[in-house]
Amino acid sequence: MKPSLSFILQLPPSTAYAKLEAVVENLVSGVVKMLDSEHVRFSLYMDGPTLEVAGQVARTQVNNKLRPAIEKGALEILGGGYYDPMLPLFPTELSSMQIEKHGKLLWKQFGIEPIGYFNSSMVWEMEMTNLLERHRFEYALVQEASLQDALGRTTPVSGWYSIEDKGSFMRVVPVSQKLSDAIANDDFRWEQIAEPYCRGGKTAVVALDVPPQPGDIIPFFERLIDFVETNELTTKTVAEVVAEQNSEGRLSFLLSSGLKIGLPRAAKTCRELLVRRPEVNLLHKMLSSLYHRASATLKGRDRDEFFEMLLPAMSPIYYRDMQDSEGMRTPMVRWWGARFLLQAANRLTELVSFDGIRLDIADFMLQGGKCIWAENHSYSFLLDYMGGGILHILNAKDSENNLLNAWRDDGNPSVGFLDFVLPNTELKAERVDQLLSDREGELSAPYDYQIKRHDAGTDITLLSEQKDTIAGHQYSLLVEKTFGLSSTGSEFSVSYKVKNQRAECSKGFFGTLLDTGLLACGFTGKDIVVDGQPLKFNFRDSLIFPDASCFEITDYTTSSKIELTFKQKASLLIAPIFGASALAAPEALQGVRVFPFWKMSLAADAEEEFGLSVRISKR
Amino acid sequence: MKSDLIDIQVESRGNDVEISLSGSLGAVQLSQVKEKLNMLVEGPGCFFFLNLQNAHFTSDRYLDVFLELLNRVKAQKSALILIFDSSELYDYFSRYLNIFEVYENRNAYKKSGTKKQLQQIGLHFGLRSGITVSSGVAVALISLLLGWIITLFVIISSQGHDLSDKQAQIIALQNQKERYIKEIDKLESSIGPLRKLGVVQDTTRLSSFGLIQDWVSYLEYLENARREK
Repeated sequence: MKPSLSFILQLPPSTAYAKLEAVVENLVSGVVKMLDSEHVRFSLYMDGPTLEVAGQVARTQVNNKLRPAIEKGALEILGGGYYDPMLPLFPTELSSMQIEKHGKLLWKQFGIEPIGYFNSSMVWEMEMTNLLERHRFEYALVQEASLQDALGRTTPVSGWYSIEDKGSFMRVVPVSQKLSDAIANDDFRWEQIAEPYCRGGKTAVVALDVPPQPGDIIPFFERLIDFVETNELTTKTVAEVVAEQNSEGRLSFLLSSGLKIGLPRAAKTCRELLVRRPEVNLLHKMLSSLYHRASATLKGRDRDEFFEMLLPAMSPIYYRDMQDSEGMRTPMVRWWGARFLLQAANRLTELVSFDGIRLDIADFMLQGGKCIWAENHSYSFLLDYMGGGILHILNAKDSENNLLNAWRDDGNPSVGFLDFVLPNTELKAERVDQLLSDREGELSAPYDYQIKRHDAGTDITLLSEQKDTIAGHQYSLLVEKTFGLSSTGSEFSVSYKVKNQRAECSKGFFGTLLDTGLLACGFTGKDIVVDGQPLKFNFRDSLIFPDASCFEITDYTTSSKIELTFKQKASLLIAPIFGASALAAPEALQGVRVFPFWKMSLAADAEEEFGLSVRISKR
Repeated sequence: MKSDLIDIQVESRGNDVEISLSGSLGAVQLSQVKEKLNMLVEGPGCFFFLNLQNAHFTSDRYLDVFLELLNRVKAQKSALILIFDSSELYDYFSRYLNIFEVYENRNAYKKSGTKKQLQQIGLHFGLRSGITVSSGVAVALISLLLGWIITLFVIISSQGHDLSDKQAQIIALQNQKERYIKEIDKLESSIGPLRKLGVVQDTTRLSSFGLIQDWVSYLEYLENARREK
């Protein structure tokens, strides 16, 4: 007996949206071909942007072919989030908005209310039971592996199971990953793999990704039709499978960390990404912070309009540890994510008529320690005073970009103004770069903070005693680090008073590190300018520029510019930050490292001052 | 550190400074909260809004902290306004509701009276600039200023009238001049043929008194005229 299969087709949310019209046109044509063949019944998931475009470029086909097929039951349209987000990561209110927005669009385009919930990342947590029930879903598609975990078995799982949480009920339908992969890769053993899933007349659920390139879409559908016809398969929609079959049993708990998000198999939940990848975590925390601030300050239409602006930043592309424009390893993806959030942040500033300086001392990172969020009309930054007085985020509001969004393969966050004391030896650029990468000699002891408001702005003064041993030499420095915020300008100052607390002389180099995510890639030859002269930097080898007074770096892709003006002439290390590419070689440029440093020679109880001002602008 | 669990937000906008405290505030955090608040009310600011809407107090010793803070702010000639609208906080502050100014938000305070706020700004900037004036002197100064402004306005408007009169006269004279020129041209053209025939002598071309600038020239003119005769 030939196996019975239920196909779920989806366009992955990593599709290059620049070509979305061509992609959608071909997708709808392919779907129509499938329907015309009259041999395939299947389920289809399209996220919000795809549906919107389908309504524009393929209105006739949608009305004349897809709608009647849905009414006949040959085609099932699945519901989900508008931007296909991993719902357990976000506040329930925003998750609800995603589902509602997608549902409204399905009603508008197809005149239906979906009963099946689909998420391409396949994440699941128990709280979703209640959320999906409230949105009148009857079943949800989940990863087979998560069901195997919940049932404590390794054999194939098919059919559907029931699950309940806090009085809410949901049917969960496993998608067979093994069978999906076999069919997608034209594995001739697919029938053998499908057999245990279909035992006892059951139907196996298979999810297939529609290729993202427009030219590959029609051939994909033709191959699929050919596959069904050649093998004389019985196909059903998932809704039919759920309706025809009885429950396979009850589950007390179900948890799925998801698929295709860059997490190892051992991960239990998608929140593991927030722990593993600081870049993802920072974006997530920026979104949470904006959500909470808007919840506390906005009402009615303003509130809804603002939350709507947060929805694109929930797309799974910003919460994946993946490269090649599929996840946050790609600098452009990090920039897109930051841009959505900064557009929302700028709107919030308008809505609450903010014009001044705002300091928020709160647990921004949700890790049990405080940080200082500082903001004026042209920039905002997150200062981690407990982690060495460093910046984790430096947002340029005009150019809508986080300037510290470089990616570090070692899983450490990119930083701004992380201070170092380097040994008093002759150091080559590569050696300095290595010391900085390894965080050797960093001044990371916690600081106490003081806030001093004055007519020109506000100073955040950090005080701490920094002790360590560098290259066999002990040092103990009393460091006063001040961030001076201007209430009107687009610049801030960072100044240091460093006092030697030891009886012996302390010698070395004192410097501060910025891991900028700016993508100045030598487009114009004037991307990096030192003391008014363009710097010949090949973006491969690090270099040290001696006695610099002023440094600027312009990113023509993101229209961001940062200028550093040193109070005392400084030596300047400029080095590329590389990350692993798809070939696993560290050859993908992830940002530019900038490290101004000064010679420090402190007798007992002597004090030295260093400083710089930072100007952020749109190029 | 439990004392570090307090969330504080400071927002400075011109004369307004809004400080928000949130979280559960007990005896452990008391000294920290006191220190932070004292630190934050130093510096510029005429109106200090202390937003306690999201704060929950588990010790009544905070009332003393806020009273001290009120005194400190008043010594700077600034105003301290508490922002909340929860019954729990009204109960907490019930003993001192006649001392503290309590509003549900900053806008509610702004709408509560312009005179009061102007007085506050006057007091505050009086202290900052070192110039203080009594209300009587202030009224006299304002009256004087108003008097000056009105006088200036009257002078300007009367000068404006004079200027427009003069303008009208100039225009009328210019029109008259043009009319005369036209009439003279007409007359000249009508006597032109007669002048050519020598019937009419053109006296306008003769030496005229207009060229004589002094008595010596005048006498010379008379002598020349006599000799010609």
